[in-house]
This record gives sequence, structure tokens and C-alpha cells, in this order.
Amino acid sequence: MDTMYYGDTLIVDLPSGKTEEVDFGPEMLTDNGPGLAAGLALYSEYESDDPLVMGSGLLTGTTAPASSLGFVLGKSPLTGKPAVSPLSLFSGAEMKLSGFSMIVVRGDSPGPVYLWLHDGVADILDATELWGRDTWGTTDAVRAEMGEHLVQVVSIGPAGEAASKLASYSINYWGSGDTAALGARMGEKKLKAVALRGLGMLDAEGPSDCYSGGKELLAKSPAWNGFNKVSSGLGAGDIDGWLKPLVHRYRSCFACPAACNTFVKYNEKPSVLESTGVEEPGMLVTGAASAAWLLSGGWKAEQACRAMEAMARTGVDLIRGARELARSPLGDSGGIDGAVGGLSGSEQAGWPGAGASPESLFGPWAPPLAAEEEWLLANQVGYVLGICPIYLLASGVDTAGLFGLCPAAAGIELDSSRVAGMFS
Amino acid sequence: MKGRLRRAAGDPVFDRYRDTFLSGSSTLYPRIAVYAGSGASHSWIWFADILERLGLFDVRFIDESSVKNPGLSGFDAFFIGGGDTYETASSLGEDGARAIEGFVRDGGFYFGSCAGAYLVLSGVDLEPFTPFNLIDGGMLNTMAAPPEPRCLEHKYKSAYGDGWVFHPVYGEVTLALRYRKAGLRVNAPIFGGPVIGEALPDEVLAEYSGFTERAAYLWPRREAEELMMGRAAVLRSKLDGGDVVVSGPHLEHPLYPAANAVAADVLQAHCAERPRRVIKPSRSSMSNGDAALFLKEIKRQVSNARIVGFGLEKMPVAWQLGRKVWEPEKIRMFLECAWERLPFLEEHAELMDPSGELEPLANGYANVTRFSKSLKMRIESGQDSQAEASGLLLPLKELTARFLSLYFRLRLETQFGRD
Repeated sequence: MDTMYYGDTLIVDLPSGKTEEVDFGPEMLTDNGPGLAAGLALYSEYESDDPLVMGSGLLTGTTAPASSLGFVLGKSPLTGKPAVSPLSLFSGAEMKLSGFSMIVVRGDSPGPVYLWLHDGVADILDATELWGRDTWGTTDAVRAEMGEHLVQVVSIGPAGEAASKLASYSINYWGSGDTAALGARMGEKKLKAVALRGLGMLDAEGPSDCYSGGKELLAKSPAWNGFNKVSSGLGAGDIDGWLKPLVHRYRSCFACPAACNTFVKYNEKPSVLESTGVEEPGMLVTGAASAAWLLSGGWKAEQACRAMEAMARTGVDLIRGARELARSPLGDSGGIDGAVGGLSGSEQAGWPGAGASPESLFGPWAPPLAAEEEWLLANQVGYVLGICPIYLLASGVDTAGLFGLCPAAAGIELDSSRVAGMFS
Repeated sequence: MKGRLRRAAGDPVFDRYRDTFLSGSSTLYPRIAVYAGSGASHSWIWFADILERLGLFDVRFIDESSVKNPGLSGFDAFFIGGGDTYETASSLGEDGARAIEGFVRDGGFYFGSCAGAYLVLSGVDLEPFTPFNLIDGGMLNTMAAPPEPRCLEHKYKSAYGDGWVFHPVYGEVTLALRYRKAGLRVNAPIFGGPVIGEALPDEVLAEYSGFTERAAYLWPRREAEELMMGRAAVLRSKLDGGDVVVSGPHLEHPLYPAANAVAADVLQAHCAERPRRVIKPSRSSMSNGDAALFLKEIKRQVSNARIVGFGLEKMPVAWQLGRKVWEPEKIRMFLECAWERLPFLEEHAELMDPSGELEPLANGYANVTRFSKSLKMRIESGQDSQAEASGLLLPLKELTARFLSLYFRLRLETQFGRD
């Protein structure tokens, strides 16, 4: 049976610096379910080693709409319980193409290391030279070392290195939806980064049906630019209007019809299309919640974007950090580094006006656009199938179409109740 | 192997040849040399694909020095593909020309496509081609002052004496086969090969009969048709005991199974006239202690280099090595050739010499990774990259030849066993 995954499960033993490839067989998929369901089974298997488990969903990296999602699963330093955080942008798809179906990172390394996973080859590399760099410098250095800027770099900055409970891993330069401080777990493990790139192909049970079915679904799925659709109904304000004077372009994650991610320029005119030699013209704002908090706190858009850049560079949770910063708007841009450096981690992750987030395996990266039960199911379906739960909630796309792709993808039948059962 | 290529490799047209070559009792199982030396571009690796599809594993990939000494007497067939004909002819020289001619007269099979065809046409008679004269035919695609091309200027022409060899069409053409029943046509790509004139009618196996939607017109279509339609594209000639086959289009291109079958037909016809003989490699058992480690290192480095190579393909750059223009995608063509065959090596690690065969490959691919990265950095920084490209592509070609020679040895050994 083709399973939409290729390669064995990679076990990375950080204390010894060795890797092992384990074939758990198709039972891993059939007994537990794909995506996060298989990840949870692996987490249980290796729980005594306090593992970080990384993986992707059944449809991640396909033509299905919003099939961008991968995950990192580990014990949250905030709760002491297992928590899952997203691998978005293109990192989920590269996770799928790395040549390993799932990755289990066991134990702690004696010194700084990073993982380079490529085409079924796992390299544990010395990260001494990277230790101390922020996420931007780390991403640049890893990509330069590998000679390719399409390498996806999941890294931690100084906050993660210090195992701060405010730490979050960053996907390339742009932060992430890690609200469980799994970046701090990476720091404890001395795991500076995981770099991903693969040129492989996915093996589907019915390749043509899987490809064309996904494309058909993609073509009729709702599309939009910016964050307002994601935050509508939450009373978060007009985020897109607030950012508009700075907007250079919108960008989607892998295979997503919605281009939420908003590239803003504040170091040169946003209207400039050609490279003018300004090395860092701005940043890609990837989180609606952090933008919403800063907007609600009365921050000016430019200052807010600069603050989000500073948090992403340092490897601080953008949602909790922004919520804390929102308490007191800055008078000028000069105090941003100080404000970000002074963050205490006193705030919970969540959305403005939405009350406390439910206690769950999933953080509040996906907005509470539905009742709690429905929100939970969107996360479960999203992380099992590899479909962004933000897109599921904001688009209202019928998940029946996505489940309909599963037989062509992997020869298995899935529906919402079966997925929910994987988490019971 | 991906999509269209995988479908082509699995085409049932190859079954008949494979059956005959692998298990036929009266057909020679040929020992084959493929030219991968100076002047050869990347297209010689297509011969690896087609020979593998035909079940022909007794294959070595050789350079000009091997052609000259020890020569081709140990082989039954010799294939030369595309590239820089001047460079190939100059490197082989008179000694190489004599070796090739002697090989054919002694009963060998010569197959030349594109540059390999120009090389031996009697009408291509300036230095350094003079000693290579194996088959009657000239080239019609020459002119003192060809008109400006409509596109693909860098692919359009090469100097030849006081004039130019030019290419009116680049891409897929249709060939009418003369040696099979009337009306049979196949498509094949032409990437600068000759339009052949002055051929003996009985020696024409196929002629140009049309263009497809995959053809790019460097000349206006009507003028290209006037020059090419009805002209010889593939010739076969007897020379004493041997056969010489030349083709303007690349019959060996792996995306064209029907064209591959034309090349297979002529090779099989040659072999059918000769007694069955299968040469089994004679080797002692080898220690496989470090083989797995070296194979892992080869895989690591080929993967690293492929990833850099993929990035290079997005860069608007090309290099001229000799008279041939090389685009960045050629780098990954060589690497894919090894990548797709690595699993077979991993399955048969015990049959290889770790230090003699695998370690040099591992070191070689590590260098390829390093040079690929430095080439990319040089391009990104806006500097001239000609020297770096040459320093990468030529060793990569040699490395691929070594890899493929090893791979085919294993395929032969696992197919027929060892003496």
C-alpha cells in the first residue's frame, strides 16, 4: 500500500549523536491514523526520552487546498503536557519531502547541533557557530551552507537557547504559531535548527485521482488576501486596513488559495518592486493574532511590524509577546528592542476579545471562529490531513471533499468521526 | 524516476528486445562502449537509459584515451552521442580515428547521433574531421552566411571552415522509416544534428517528414521544411564486416521509446548476424565492511549537490565550454543519473570494492557538492562563473561515467552471475 509517506521513521538520538531509521510498517498508519495521530503514537512510544516528534499530514504537500501543514509535538514547558505546534509556510511540505515519514528527536545533545534532513539522508551537524545567532542569522547561515535558499529552516533564537518559556521556534525568518514554547524544548535539547529539503515524489495509491481530485478541490476553494477574513467576527479590528500603507505583497503557504501572509516594508517604500539594495526591507507578517493584539493595543502599524520582526528574530512567541506589548504602546520606534527584550511572558496565548483559550493539545494559532467543539475538530482534521486549520475555519470549506481524497491518496477511508476518535 | 520518463521506461516496446538479448540463443549479447570523453556533452547518459531498457548491461563508459589505447577491440558496439564535434575529433585524433575504423572493419557496430553522426560523415572533411570518414553523406545544414535566427540564437550555429553549420529547427521532428513497412513514422528530438545529403538511397533508414508542436523554429517553418523534408535523418552502411549507423536526431533520447526502438532494431540486426556470447565479469568476492558507509556518503553528497543544482536551474546563466553551450540543468541531469541508480548499488553493496570503487566516488561527489555551492555563490555575487562551471561540469561528467560503469558491472553480474 502506498501511504503518501516515503522513507522510514527517523529516530535521532541526540545524546549519542546517532540516527536510526525504523520501519514501523503500514500499521503505524492503519492502527493509529496518519499525520498527528501517528505522531502521538510515536510520542507515547518514546515518551521517556522527552521527545520532539515532527511530521506531516496525509495530504501535506499535495494539490489539496491548504495542504501546507506539518507539526512539531512535544511536552510544553508551559503545561508539562504534550502540545502540538504548526509547521506552516513551506516547511510542512518540505517535512513531507525530506524522505522520512516521521522524525523522533530523543534526549538532549551535549553540545549545539542542527539537523539537515534531505532526500532520506539525516545529518546531525555541529551548530557551535550558529549558537548565539538570531533566527534570521541562523536561517541565512544554514541556507548559505547548503547552497540553496529554498531550504526550510526551523530554528530557535536567543530566547530558545536560554530555554525561556516565552520562546518559540521560527520558520525561516518569520516566527511561527508555536504557542507551547516548543522552541524552549529545542533549546534544552541544544537543537538549534532543523533544516529541510527534498526533491522526492509522493507515492499515492491512485496518483492521477489524487492529483486531479486535489486540483479540482483547490480550484473551487475560497481565496482571499490578508488577515481580515481570518479574524472576522472576533472584534480584532481592521488588521488589513491598519497594515495597508506598508503592504508590499501577500503570500500564501504551500498550496493555499488564501494569501494571508502579508509582506510589509518599512525600511523602504512599499511601492518599490525592484531590489534597491536595502538588505532587509521589512518582514512577512504570518500571524493574525499577534497583529490583532498590537492593533488592539493602539500600536502604530510600523512600530508593530518592527516589534514583530524583533520578536521573530529573537525567537519569542509572537502571540504572547504581542499581547504583552499591547498593554503599553510605544511613543517611538527607538524603544522596540528594549520593549521586546523586557518581555516577561506573563500573558497567555489567545485572541483579542475571545476570552481564555480552551485547554487542549492545540494552541490558539487557529482563531476561535467556531464553537469550541468545532474548533477542536478543525484542528484534529487539519493535523491529521495536513490541511491548515486556519483555512478550514475561515473558509468554511467542506471537509467531505478532503476526506474524499484519502482513498486515492493512501487507500484509506476517513471522516470526521474517525478522526475525532483518534484523539479520544 | 518521474512521470513521463517513468512511463517511457516502462513502454512495452522494449520487451521484445530484452527477451532477445537476455535469453535469445542465437543473438550476440554485445559488449558496448559509450563515449563519455572530451567533447561529449550530457546526451551520452541517454545511452545508459536505453541500453538498460534493452537489457544490455555489458557496458563501459570510456574516454578518448581508452579509444586510442587499448582501443575498441574488446567491444562489439561503440556509441557516440552529442557534444562538441570539434573537441571530440581533436581529442580522438588520427589514432582514435584509426581505432574506430579498424573496430568497424573488424565487425564492430558504430552508432553516432548528432555530433557522433557529423564525426564520421564523409562530407564533413575539414580538419580535424578528415581522418573520420566511415559513411557516405554530407550535411545540408551549412551555409556561408546563414540568416539571423528567429529564436535560440545560442543554439543556432557553429563555425565550419569559412562558413557555418546551422540548425533550422530545435526540438521534436517526425521521421518516416524506410526500413519498415511504408508509412511508419516516429518522433525524435533534434538538438543540432545533421540534415544529411548525398546519401546512398539504400542506406537511408529514415528521413525527416515533419515537425511537431514541440519543435522550435529558428528558421521560418516553410523554409525549414524546404531544407529538411524528405532528406536523410538516419543512415546505415556496411563497412567490411561492421556496421555504421548515424542519426541526426537523438534516437536514444529516453522520452522517445519508439525512436529508441529504431536504434534497437539496427543494433539487434547487427547482433543477430553474430554468434551468441555473454561475457561474465570475473571478480573475487569483496569485503563489504565499509561499503555501506561509502554508499551513504555518496547518497548524502549526490543529494546535497542535487539540491544546489535545482537552485542553479532558476538562474539566468549558461556557459560555453569549447563550442558547446551548457545550461545549469545539465548539472542535475548527471546527478539524477546516479541518484536513480543508487538504490541498486545499496542492494548489492557486497559486490563492490569499498576503497577501490566506492571511496573515489564518495570523494568525487563531495567535490561536486563543494564546487556546485561555490559556483552558485559566484553567480549570486554577479561574478563571471565560466571557470567554475568548467571545473564542475567536466569532472562531474567523468564521475558519472565511473558511476555508470560500476552500475552496469553490477547489473551484468547480478543478471548472469560471475565466472
